[in-house]
Amino acid sequence: MVIFGVLRSGLYALAAVGLALSVGVIGIVNFAHGEFLMLGAFLGYWLYASYGVDPLAAIPFGAAAIFVLGGAIYRGAIQRVLRAPELNQMLLTFGISIFLQNLAVILWTGDPRVATVPYKATAVSIGGFTVGLPQLIVFVIAMTLTLALYAVLGRTRIGKAMRAVAQNRLGAALLGIEVERVYLLAFGISTALAATAGMMITLQLSVSPYIGLLYTLKAFAIIVIAGLGNINGVIYASLVLGLSEAFVEFYVPHGGGWAEGVFFLLILLVLIVRPRGLFR
Amino acid sequence: MLEGLSRSFGGLVAVAELSLAVEEGQIYAMIGPNGAGKSTTFNLISGLLAPDAGRILFGGRDITALPAAPRTHLGIGRTFQVMQPFHDMTVLENVMVGELFGHVVPKSLEAARRDAEAVCALVGVEPLMDRTVQGLGVADLKRLEMARALATHPRLLLLDEVMAGLTPSEAQHAVGVIRRIRDGGVTVLLIDHVMSSVRDLAERVAVLNFGRKIAEGSFAEVAQEPAVIEAYLGEEAGSPP
Amino acid sequence: MTAGRGISLAVALILAVAFPFWANEAQPYYLQIAINIIIFAVLALSWDILARTGQLSLAHAAFYGLGAYTSALLTLRAGLAVIPAMLAGALLAAIVAAGLGVLTLRLRGIYFAIATLAFSETLRVTTNQLQFTGAATGLVAPPLLGGQRVVQYLAILTVLVLVVLVSWLVNRSRLYFAFTAIRTNEDVAATMGVDVVRYKVFAFVVSAFFAGITGAYYAHVFLFISPIEAYSLAVSVGALVAPIFGGLYTTAGPVIGAVALRLVEEFLRSAIRSGYLIIYGLILAVVILYMPSGLAGVWATMRGRRRV
Repeated sequence: MVIFGVLRSGLYALAAVGLALSVGVIGIVNFAHGEFLMLGAFLGYWLYASYGVDPLAAIPFGAAAIFVLGGAIYRGAIQRVLRAPELNQMLLTFGISIFLQNLAVILWTGDPRVATVPYKATAVSIGGFTVGLPQLIVFVIAMTLTLALYAVLGRTRIGKAMRAVAQNRLGAALLGIEVERVYLLAFGISTALAATAGMMITLQLSVSPYIGLLYTLKAFAIIVIAGLGNINGVIYASLVLGLSEAFVEFYVPHGGGWAEGVFFLLILLVLIVRPRGLFR
Repeated sequence: MLEGLSRSFGGLVAVAELSLAVEEGQIYAMIGPNGAGKSTTFNLISGLLAPDAGRILFGGRDITALPAAPRTHLGIGRTFQVMQPFHDMTVLENVMVGELFGHVVPKSLEAARRDAEAVCALVGVEPLMDRTVQGLGVADLKRLEMARALATHPRLLLLDEVMAGLTPSEAQHAVGVIRRIRDGGVTVLLIDHVMSSVRDLAERVAVLNFGRKIAEGSFAEVAQEPAVIEAYLGEEAGSPP
Repeated sequence: MTAGRGISLAVALILAVAFPFWANEAQPYYLQIAINIIIFAVLALSWDILARTGQLSLAHAAFYGLGAYTSALLTLRAGLAVIPAMLAGALLAAIVAAGLGVLTLRLRGIYFAIATLAFSETLRVTTNQLQFTGAATGLVAPPLLGGQRVVQYLAILTVLVLVVLVSWLVNRSRLYFAFTAIRTNEDVAATMGVDVVRYKVFAFVVSAFFAGITGAYYAHVFLFISPIEAYSLAVSVGALVAPIFGGLYTTAGPVIGAVALRLVEEFLRSAIRSGYLIIYGLILAVVILYMPSGLAGVWATMRGRRRV
């Protein structure tokens, strides 16, 4: 059970870290985050179904495509509400989310799809436990990417610029950092990461236009647990969510459905008890 | 009356063992350099913050555990240093909020409206009553703050830096208004940096620095204390006469 | 209220009451649409009432669904008659709202919205799981008032009149000042003596009651509910876009918005079978970007007034 939960946290972490980036650096809670994930998933599926490209191999392409889309949406809409009240930002991204979700429904209908790659059912033995190969690969890739993001934020110039902007916008601007470009980049990266997570989801689970919202909420649960703007805590927070869900699945009768409610409980609990997050 | 109030934020001690006794009908001033803990004290008195230690007594009653709204019902009203009008409403409506939920419950909306108009006249915003809050100047916003606080019919009025940003003549006008308020039976506790106004108004002054009271007495007495002069040396805001 | 306004409202009411009798004979489909529009209008107004305290719920469907399911279950499993069951459903929604309201008291803006969204999603998921609530297959509910469309129409019209009255009274009374103050700045409101907790929870309860009764009504008029419909995002989104589009914090705004949007939706639905919700997303985005005070604001600006 633990392994199950851990493997799943990898994907969650990747899905959430983009949102954490957007919240931390730009200061905007992107309700449409899950839709980018969904779009990535559909892209992955489409590439597989039409051209036989393994979703994993298509990741760079998908990430780039969504990066561009995310950037365009940022420029076109989100940029305008950066100075507006928080609630306006929320409603705008919510509107974008509804728009994208239904666009997908119109274009591709609401039916769920799965990319059945040849190795989907392959299992691998690790230390006495059997795990599915796709799950393992996804975990490894997701973790690598998440850690890579941390490295970028910590070591590279652009990463440091982002951290500077996250902490003090005015100060960063005074230092000569082009804040607008940093925002654009951060948003693009955040959507690209979401899309990558989405592409990996096609490997294991069915995707439909409606999964976006669920992932947005789970990602939100994770960043709330980690503490808003705390990008580093995302991995630990994902573990919390992943393990809690796994726990419920295994030990609560008919746990499969109930596990989907775990994130709500976690959100409520954390917001009420420790609003600053568990991993500050 | 405050007894031994303490409040910290994180590692920063904002107010430490502050004890003040304000008599009914007095105009009492709290002064001190920036960051001395004056606004925090106001937040503690009005109920927006809870103290880490100490008690607050109002009219002999311990209100330390009471939340903000009931304190207003008991008769504590305040203005805010950073002006916070209700921006969706007109000036009159802003004042009516104080009227409707304050210390004295009005008999009807109409009665509340009339009272609110009277308060506006007292403070000097009558011509602006039906205007929305956007676009009002600093002096008018300050008056609105005062009017709104007054509309709650307080027994104790906390004035937070009402003189800041006012021209000398506006400040004079405000001094007059505050005196009239006191003459109406309201106890006034004020924070300010504009020393000339404090000198004109205050019957008793407490000086705070780093959250502690370092001097108390009449304005003249306090101005001569070496600790006070030292606290202000290097401070730009107002200078001891 | 001026005499002219009063007369036109009275005329409108008479027309509204006479409408079903005509439509039932001439164009029954119109009657269906009218019922849908009124349901939507009630929902929109109930959302707006909550929004006046600054609590923007992203998941009004939660209470809608609670009302629907409670009522359906009470009639199916407990043998309760339809109308009492509907009222019970609304009551349950209101009670749950009180609880949720207290839990979310300290959550500001965005967090509150997320919490409501998470709440609604969780309700959907658990209803989907439990056999007791019919799981994914849903429930078939007994009809209201014998399934007679005309009477059903009049019933929901009554509810609309009720909620319009409530909304109007709220905006005319002390509550207007309390709600607006709380919405603008809770701390300052408290300093002015406003009992923030009481009013926030009160708004939540009233709002949920009407949402609940709408849901219950839906169940017994359309006779079938499932988690996807009852807790659908479409309901939540509609409930919030209509007031934003029509004019927040007013009585006329949500109603106008609801009517306009529903008509557009009916039109779109014939063109695109699913995904017509896209128009809501689009409108929401456009309004936020370009028309912050919605239709009512545009109207007011054109007529030179500040408040509708």
